Amino acid sequence: MAETLLSVEGLETGYGEVQVLWGVSLKAGRGELTAIVGANGAGKTTTMRAIAGTITPWRGHITFGDEDVTRLSTHDKAARGFALVPEGRQLFSKMTVAENLELGAFSKRAARQYAQRRDEVFALFPRLAERQRQVAGTLSGGEQQMVAIARGLMSGPSILIIDELSLGLAPVVVYQLFQTLKKLKEGGLSILLVEQNVHLALAVSDYAYVIAEGRLFTEGAPQKLATMPEIRKAYLGL
Amino acid sequence: MLGVLASIIDGVLVGLVYGLAAMGLTLIWGVMDVINLTHGTMIVAGMFGLYGLASAVGAPPYLALPPVLIGGFLAGVLLYWVAVHRMVGRPPLMSLLSTFSINLMLIGLGTSIWGTALFNVEVALPGFSLGRYTFPGAHILAAVLAALIAASLYLFLQRSRLGKAVRAVANNREAAELVGIPTTRVLAITVGCGVAIAGVAGMLIGTLFPFTILSGDSYQLKSFVVTALGGFGNPVGALFAGIALGVLEGAVTPFVPVSWTLVIEFALFVLVLVVFPGGIFAARRGAL
Repeated sequence: MAETLLSVEGLETGYGEVQVLWGVSLKAGRGELTAIVGANGAGKTTTMRAIAGTITPWRGHITFGDEDVTRLSTHDKAARGFALVPEGRQLFSKMTVAENLELGAFSKRAARQYAQRRDEVFALFPRLAERQRQVAGTLSGGEQQMVAIARGLMSGPSILIIDELSLGLAPVVVYQLFQTLKKLKEGGLSILLVEQNVHLALAVSDYAYVIAEGRLFTEGAPQKLATMPEIRKAYLGL
Repeated sequence: MLGVLASIIDGVLVGLVYGLAAMGLTLIWGVMDVINLTHGTMIVAGMFGLYGLASAVGAPPYLALPPVLIGGFLAGVLLYWVAVHRMVGRPPLMSLLSTFSINLMLIGLGTSIWGTALFNVEVALPGFSLGRYTFPGAHILAAVLAALIAASLYLFLQRSRLGKAVRAVANNREAAELVGIPTTRVLAITVGCGVAIAGVAGMLIGTLFPFTILSGDSYQLKSFVVTALGGFGNPVGALFAGIALGVLEGAVTPFVPVSWTLVIEFALFVLVLVVFPGGIFAARRGAL
């Protein structure tokens, strides 16, 4: 396994009185695509939210590089190179595609490289170049997911965290987006992917974690997980 | 006929100032769903800022604009931390009550200092004549300044990095945090801008009409009417709705006693709320 970039240890958190995570630990390697898979309600999105800082961890530690980032605010984490592509995309729906990208490069550091990154992002998603002036809320689901990923990339992130890439999208669009992820990974980007579609997640990832009922169920290389009988039965429908 | 036309033109001039005042209210409303009930008092604070600098110190009245703008901004940031910060995202009643209490304190304080006497700031500016009618120079200058400030706010929101961050927070606060915008700071700045605009509008109104420490209520209510007409949380709509309200006032004044204008305005307010619950320009371009 590659050098660890992001490390989560014994993460426990939840909403109000309801505890959702009961000690999740995982690592994301530099330059790798790490996948977190699991059923609906297993705690995948909650894990992502705690990592990005939109909810506060109750116990446990999150380390990024050499720094303990457990209690940092979301915007401080963004400034350190976290880019979360949230579930449901969460675009600035009333603003144009171009404005969404510009806001993705909000930090002063990213703003300086705005033009160059925008060109890179448009090379990756030519469709967005055509739709620059369009209000983001009026795009199709697939295009909105492209904007969400592009917005994340505009910050020049150290790690791109994607929550439910395929949710609600047509299979052909999902396939294209996964090709894009592969390309980004080959370009050296570290990616942490949460995905309901276990087939796809195992097909593209370097390492995968399976979460069930707020706990880590198992982990390993995707080829190994794909042969485990309990995974095949529970998640792959085989 | 010319008389009605002159009233309407004067209505446009005064309406621009009403529109500006309402922009302060609707900006805060649109960004954080908080109805600032100190709005009227902040308008009055602008009036007294004008009075203090122009009448008491003897400075030319329009020199009060920069200090009122800056003072209003600082007061707004303070208001955010005292009364708004912990109410954002809570039921609207919470922020209504907290800003309402602050408002009562401010009015009590103002009344104990200035009493409820009528104040008037003389503005000696040559008017513009059209036949038998003369438009007061103060009305023209107030309208021009209001239009300039409104345009600056629009450009700030549309073009500047901070302005785009304000719109981003209004649109989706969680996403704004995710892209690295310090949203709490942006909210504080927004309240600062909203109050600064209310203060400047008050300062401009102070050059048009006499005022007391209690004048805030009627101007706050005008701002509500304008906000409802213009769409809640839509500053551009507010400016045009302000003009509409001014024209309405101008058009009815020659025909009915002055005391009826408020009745007509609020009848219109209720009518708009019944027919267009989200405001007339609610979802148009320019909304936050």
